[in-house]
Amino acid sequence: MTHRRGGDHGQVGGIEVLPFGLLVFVVGTLLVANAWAVVDAKLAVDAAAREAARHFVEADVPAADDFGDAEAAARRAGYEALAAHGREAARSTVKLAALESPDGQAGFTRCARATFTARYDVPVVRLPWIGGFGSGLDVTSRHSELIDPYRDGVPGSAEACS
Amino acid sequence: MGRDRGNALMLMPAGLLIVLVLASIAVDMSVVHLRKRQAFELAAAAANDAATAGVDQGRLRTTHDYVLDPARARAVVADVVAASELASELAGPPVVTVIGAGVRVELALEADYIFADVVPGAPDGTEVSASATATTAAAP
Repeated sequence: MTHRRGGDHGQVGGIEVLPFGLLVFVVGTLLVANAWAVVDAKLAVDAAAREAARHFVEADVPAADDFGDAEAAARRAGYEALAAHGREAARSTVKLAALESPDGQAGFTRCARATFTARYDVPVVRLPWIGGFGSGLDVTSRHSELIDPYRDGVPGSAEACS
Repeated sequence: MGRDRGNALMLMPAGLLIVLVLASIAVDMSVVHLRKRQAFELAAAAANDAATAGVDQGRLRTTHDYVLDPARARAVVADVVAASELASELAGPPVVTVIGAGVRVELALEADYIFADVVPGAPDGTEVSASATATTAAAP
């Protein structure tokens, strides 16, 4: 009768791969988590840029060059959209990138195109309950809308739209 | 018994790799979902702009009829798409159809995978499409 000892062979071979498995798991998890963080942030900045642009083009302004309040309200709407996606205001920027009328002037006029950009700095590593570390990828989105040529409350004439 | 224990340990990295591959597939699918949403938002914004800025102004001022000019609507949609950051991702030119006082915009975007790209033989991405219709109505 021969006895085979439950020797060291298989066990040692198995233990060797434990650190490797752990390394693969940690690195892989960080890679996937960061990729997902960027995709998730992109969804948030897309929504922020869209909300800001929609809010701006629907605002009532007193004059074509007096759109500061409308811009501030639009930026607030953008930040609120980011907050609704669980994003920190300190890491984000929402701004009016361009406002150009058909004749090339910058002003809140009929048919002018307003473009808003939203930006979010995605942290490199984000841990539950603790938060994010490091300055990572900059995720941006741009959305533009036309100011309605025929609605009330917009200075100027729609003739320039044609 | 020792052999059994060793085999179980060998399975661990394989199991972890399987989990990571599944997570990678989930991220790639979320990229496709993101592109689908972006395509719909772009189509909606383009249709919304074209439904008003695409009107035939000459007819509106002479007969007060609100009639959309298909050529003008197409030009407005082209402007919206060109101003978008997704212009380079378009799979083809947007299809613009004027239906009465409404505009229907259909477009397709390329969605590139992040992780499947590194697998030999796997597709680099896919194509997503979306459509949106905007119709004008008199203010209440």
